Amino acid sequence: MTDIRLYNKLEKLIFPIILIIIWYIICDVLMLIPSYMFPGPVEVVNSFIKLLVTGKLFKDIIDTLYKVLLGLFLAAVVGITFGIILGWSKRLERLCTLIISILRPIPPIAWIPFSILWFGIGTAPAVFIIFMGCVFPILVSTIDGVHRTRGVLIEAAQSFGASNMQMLTEVVLPATVPYIVSGLKVGIGIALMCTISGEMIGSSSGIGYMILTSTSLFDTGSTVVGMLVIGIIGIIFDYIFTKIQERIFW
Amino acid sequence: MTFEIENVSKTFISKGRGETIKALEDINLTIETGKFVCFVGPSGCGKTTLLRLMEGFELPDEGTIKDDGELVTKPSRERGFIFQDYSLFPWLNVLDNVTFGLNIAGRPEEENKERAYKYLDAVGLRDFATKYPHELSGGMKQRVAIIRSIINESKSLLMDEPFSALDVQTKHKLEEQLVNNWRQNDRTVIFVTHDVEEAVFLSDEIVVFSRRPGRIKKVFKNELPRPRNRGDHVFQDFVNEVTEEIDESEDD
Ligand SMILES: Nc1ncnc2c1ncn2[C@@H]1O[C@H](COP(=O)(O)OP(=O)(O)OP(=O)(O)O)[C@@H](O)[C@H]1O
Ligand SMILES: [Mg+2]
Repeated sequence: MTDIRLYNKLEKLIFPIILIIIWYIICDVLMLIPSYMFPGPVEVVNSFIKLLVTGKLFKDIIDTLYKVLLGLFLAAVVGITFGIILGWSKRLERLCTLIISILRPIPPIAWIPFSILWFGIGTAPAVFIIFMGCVFPILVSTIDGVHRTRGVLIEAAQSFGASNMQMLTEVVLPATVPYIVSGLKVGIGIALMCTISGEMIGSSSGIGYMILTSTSLFDTGSTVVGMLVIGIIGIIFDYIFTKIQERIFW
Repeated sequence: MTFEIENVSKTFISKGRGETIKALEDINLTIETGKFVCFVGPSGCGKTTLLRLMEGFELPDEGTIKDDGELVTKPSRERGFIFQDYSLFPWLNVLDNVTFGLNIAGRPEEENKERAYKYLDAVGLRDFATKYPHELSGGMKQRVAIIRSIINESKSLLMDEPFSALDVQTKHKLEEQLVNNWRQNDRTVIFVTHDVEEAVFLSDEIVVFSRRPGRIKKVFKNELPRPRNRGDHVFQDFVNEVTEEIDESEDD
């Protein structure tokens, strides 16, 4: 049993390792591509160590995570609150549905010009873009969750004399939690993408900024380190949310 | 007098083809306070529909339903409702499910818990207080659903085939407990069932519905002395009498 599990885990690594070996042979052994076009693994490792030792990598990761989590948090507060209200009130939903369907497909990056106009440069514009990117998936899946709350649970609460407010907080909200969590899971992926794009344009810090500025210094190694770090952060968040979803049993 | 139902009709429009289904036609029924009344009749004759109208989940198209003289317009904590489907809150454990109604009424939580334990004890579920609904068997879930409503001491209790999914032993045990609990309180119980024997065991009155459009065909007074014994001749005779009445309406 455990042998098979271990094997399954290792199997995932086979292909990436082969890829790294090929990459190593092309870039570092045969030197087919100049490093200012694309770095070899050796250079990436060197850049990684350099970034680690100077503390720059750590600082940029914290900076980016801060924006991601702040943006996601604000989007969650707004998306969940309005999602519950709109999902519950057919009338309000009808009033808002057109606005939501028009705003929703706009790529968050399209808000960059306004975010710079309104918030200048720094953390605020990035947080704004993340917010715009995450709020709609969270809103829409919250609304969906409210609609899918089993009627019998709502009626049961009514027969216990629940007020409208109690209905929302004691029945609809908990019933919607699984949908909220999947909205957040989608949201965090979008948030990561938005952060990096935001940092590349309207920012002077973070991993996105690091990625962009290091190529202009021909430090392609740092660029790849930045890209990989984003990927790894993505995996970690995905893992966390998957674990949370497993713990929700309704 | 608890319920006064006058000239009540209810028509549904089915979503797909816009077809109309007359579920209830001209229902007149009076239910006195403290009575245990069973609704029986063929499937689809409108028993659930009438029960839902009595709670106030839906409104009649014609006619009126009054509870203690007041027009029923919406659900009330004075009318407990027990559903045929499982209706426990899956995110709450057994104890929190049972105290739900008391808690939202703003009663002190510690007292509510104590009371809940008393009720859980009575149905043998004390040890399951911290378990969640998905960890319980069907019979346990239904017991929790029942005490979740009973504990609120509402004036009346509307029950829609609460025992239909249970095995015979569990069912008989719960029926007995339900009767005992009802006899200790001055509460009106309306109980929908397919099972005539169950109706005869539980009720003071049996209301027989006829098939579409749902009408009241006959109201039997059940004056068998309590405690009742399913093996008695008179018991079985009464079961047969009611069954015949239902079968007749099944034919046409
Ligand atoms: N929400 C609804 N929409 C459309 N038709 C409905 C609705 N509720 C009930 N009906 C119809 O009304 C009729 C009566 O239904 P009801 O559920 O009251 O029957 P019942 O006597 O409880 O049956 P059973 O014994 O099978 O539970 C049925 O023909 C049913 O299809
Ligand atoms: Mg029914």
